[in-house]
Amino acid sequence: MSRPYRIMIIDDEKIVGDMAKLSLEKDGYEVETFLNAAPALERLKAEQFDIVVTDYKMRGIDGMEVLNTVKRLYPQIKVIMITAFANLDTAIEALRGDVHDFFPKPVKIKELKASIRKALTGAA
Amino acid sequence: MSRPALGLRSGIIELGRRLFRKVAGNRSCDFRALFGQFRRVLDLHNTAAERIADMGEKLSGEYIFDIVYIRQSYNELHRVFAALLSQFSLLTKDRYRGLGRRLEGIDHEVRRLIDDNGEPSTDLVVPLASARMSRLQDVGGKMANLGSLGNLAGITIPQGFVITTRSFDDFMQHNGLTAQVDRLIDDWETNTASFERVQTAIRSGALPPAVHDAIAGALQALTNGPHQGFLAVRSSAVGEDGEFSFAGQFETVLNVPPDMQSLTTAYKEVVASLFSARPFHYCKEIGCNAAEIRMAVGCIRMIDATASGVTYSADPSGHPEDMLINAAWGLGKAVVEGQVDADAYRVAKSLRPSLRERRIGAKTKMVIPALRGGTVLVDTPADLACRAVIDDRTLMNLANQALTIEEHLRQPQDIEWAMDRSGHITVLQARPIAVRSESGAATRNIPPDSLVVIQTFSGIPARKGTGAGRVFIPDTPDSLDAFPKGGVLVAKNDSSQFVRVMPYASAILTDQGTPTSHMASLCREFRVPTLVNCGNATGSLRNGQEITVRVEESGAVVYEGIHRELTGDGEGKSIDELYEFRRKKYLLRHILPLNLVDPFRDDFTPEACRTLHDILRFVHEKMVIELVEAAEQGLTDRSAVHLELPVPAGIVVIDLGGGIGLPEGAKTATMERVTSVPFRALIEGMTDPGAWHTDMVALQAGDLIAGMMKLADITAPSARVPTANLAIVSHEYLNLSLKFGYHFTMLDCYCSPDRTNNHIYFRFSGGATDITKRSRRARLIENILKTYGFICQIQGAVITARISNIGDVEMTGILDRVGRLLAYSRQLDAVLHTDESVARYSRSFLNGDYRL
Repeated sequence: MSRPYRIMIIDDEKIVGDMAKLSLEKDGYEVETFLNAAPALERLKAEQFDIVVTDYKMRGIDGMEVLNTVKRLYPQIKVIMITAFANLDTAIEALRGDVHDFFPKPVKIKELKASIRKALTGAA
Repeated sequence: MSRPALGLRSGIIELGRRLFRKVAGNRSCDFRALFGQFRRVLDLHNTAAERIADMGEKLSGEYIFDIVYIRQSYNELHRVFAALLSQFSLLTKDRYRGLGRRLEGIDHEVRRLIDDNGEPSTDLVVPLASARMSRLQDVGGKMANLGSLGNLAGITIPQGFVITTRSFDDFMQHNGLTAQVDRLIDDWETNTASFERVQTAIRSGALPPAVHDAIAGALQALTNGPHQGFLAVRSSAVGEDGEFSFAGQFETVLNVPPDMQSLTTAYKEVVASLFSARPFHYCKEIGCNAAEIRMAVGCIRMIDATASGVTYSADPSGHPEDMLINAAWGLGKAVVEGQVDADAYRVAKSLRPSLRERRIGAKTKMVIPALRGGTVLVDTPADLACRAVIDDRTLMNLANQALTIEEHLRQPQDIEWAMDRSGHITVLQARPIAVRSESGAATRNIPPDSLVVIQTFSGIPARKGTGAGRVFIPDTPDSLDAFPKGGVLVAKNDSSQFVRVMPYASAILTDQGTPTSHMASLCREFRVPTLVNCGNATGSLRNGQEITVRVEESGAVVYEGIHRELTGDGEGKSIDELYEFRRKKYLLRHILPLNLVDPFRDDFTPEACRTLHDILRFVHEKMVIELVEAAEQGLTDRSAVHLELPVPAGIVVIDLGGGIGLPEGAKTATMERVTSVPFRALIEGMTDPGAWHTDMVALQAGDLIAGMMKLADITAPSARVPTANLAIVSHEYLNLSLKFGYHFTMLDCYCSPDRTNNHIYFRFSGGATDITKRSRRARLIENILKTYGFICQIQGAVITARISNIGDVEMTGILDRVGRLLAYSRQLDAVLHTDESVARYSRSFLNGDYRL
């Protein structure tokens, strides 16, 4: 049997990672959470992930930088962006960076899961 | 027979005219202005309700949210509430000033939670009596809970004071302990000696001079009386007992002599207990950061207890309708540590609690205060061991206290109490019970033939479920280090020490113990299937034996071998158990719950509003009442017209705009002219020829006499009655005061295309017959209104019913039925001769059969 899909969550608020991890693990995904982007990008060097869910606005490396880095180094990984500061400009910026999906917070868990499923079947 | 009825009707019509002339002539206040204000309040009320509902949904666990969302949505909510109260205060002429203060208080609490840093208090010591939830950050969960109970009627709390978290911070800093704690956070999992290191440093630390003086002052004030009792020194960590129970995790030092040296030693002992393996493991399990916990310490005068115990205001093992009360001789330590076979009572939880089950235990041991401080476990005098500790009166007293406390703290509580020689009860502690849904842990169906039962135990389940693993029987607390992952813990007593292994335990069986012990509450928190008080599990199982345990209602069945397929709860952790989630969601406690439900109670006041929802409820009740009263007092203008209906209802109408289509100056209107949506629907129903009976139904002799007396009251020229049969309408609004015979009805409703605006408020009272028949009529109306979706309250013969948030089409349908009901119920009393007839007439009405 192939390995379970692996998902990385990057958000500087612990609750976001905690809730996402708990909900996604119930569906059989392997989930790792990070409070900032630097160690998360480091981790991508060592481990293969299928999806990266990242916050848009973070201290240090922000979500756009995560998106651009991931797309440059690991183009097969789908990136989903979530943000509390949703507006048209951020959405357009993210879309230009080839984001798979873009959600304003609060994110309905069902919708996030649906988006992940879609990203994975598209990838298969 | 029809003469009295006609006389009455014409009397009322005349009365209505007279009253109306009087009010319309004397007062020309502008009802339109009042109504406009009402609309402004209503709009804000609805916006506030929507915002609350939205926040509740977003924080329900179905959404991933962050603090930015909470901050933004709360700011918006607060802005709406501030505007609402300012408009409401204009509507009610500032009669409910307390509301503004309540909003301020709630706002303060919520912002504290959002920012997590409210203004730090500089108090080093706080009297227990002034410890409150609003000072949670200063006094810790346990003392905040206890202090807040002191104000409740019928509840006594001990005297004492709290050494605050500020003192704790100062103490840690003064002794250079902060850096040591940081190191501990990094290495405790690999280096168990680290705990010892920090604890030793704490024990040898000195109180900062200011802290020392503050404690000495409080101690002197406490012991400056005839009773120079010893003290109980108790932990009260922040985070503790508010969210997670931390039951038994930290030290409590009992019977401390009331001198500074002993108290300081005990204080440091309690502080040191924060830095031990148990709470750190516990924190790791629930995902909180042990370094963030701060310790306040309660110093409480010991009660000279002849007996003590624990009350659970709801049985956590799946019977929330029952309370559990355990009692034993001496100090309560024996009960909470499960060292004694305590008396156990099961009490049905209701306004008048009643005993369901009583089991008197063999209390061969008891814990008593030692002469020079501390406690000892001694043999109970032989004549006491098997005697009941409390009598029935005390039992009911305990049950009632538990109800009071649960109502105050809004969730089931685990209450420790002590009883002195005179039988007086003092509450020592209250904390929420971790009541979890047992469904996840429900035992799966076990094929009965394929398993070998090796043992059954009767006992008390602390948590039901099935677990499998190797038996582990510890002989000393240290031997727990060898506990195998996934093992089944079998022990003599229940002990909160076991929390160390709880994350790895599959099930727990103890020979002795109570479902109200610390360990039992931890088992529920960690979801470990557990049976306590099962007699001789340690004697009948052996170390290393592979078993599967199924804990059920009344005991446990032990099967041979490990059958993992039968275990586990499949569901895993739920969002609700995420520490961060609960921490963030905590603020909803100040927003969502509705406590103020009964407008008939004396405590339906601004001061009683504990949440934003309460404020909203209060505003809604009073804004409608404001309109009703204004209408009743004849606050009106001159645009009144007489309504001509096919039935003699005698209604005068005041149109606020769009309610009646009439040329200027017209004084009468027919039904066809009514353009008010709710009023039109109502009168169409009311004038239904089937529902409006013109024949007088025969009254029985007693009814007639009662009726005649009422008739005299109503028709006497001096009688003060509210304006009869007055409708105030707009296109979307109706306020109707109606008097048919002896029945007074008030109906207030709003019916617009936006369902969130819509409400019907209905009040029905009066009646010519005796109270039995009147209450039958009340029940009949209640039956019918409930069928339409109303929420009803009956007080004597008065019914109040409400329905809101319904679409206009549905609402006009309901109003039509309510109109029929008003007509139908005019003479209903007279036929409701038996209780059975209530159901019969309800059914016929609902079936459209209006015959009496």
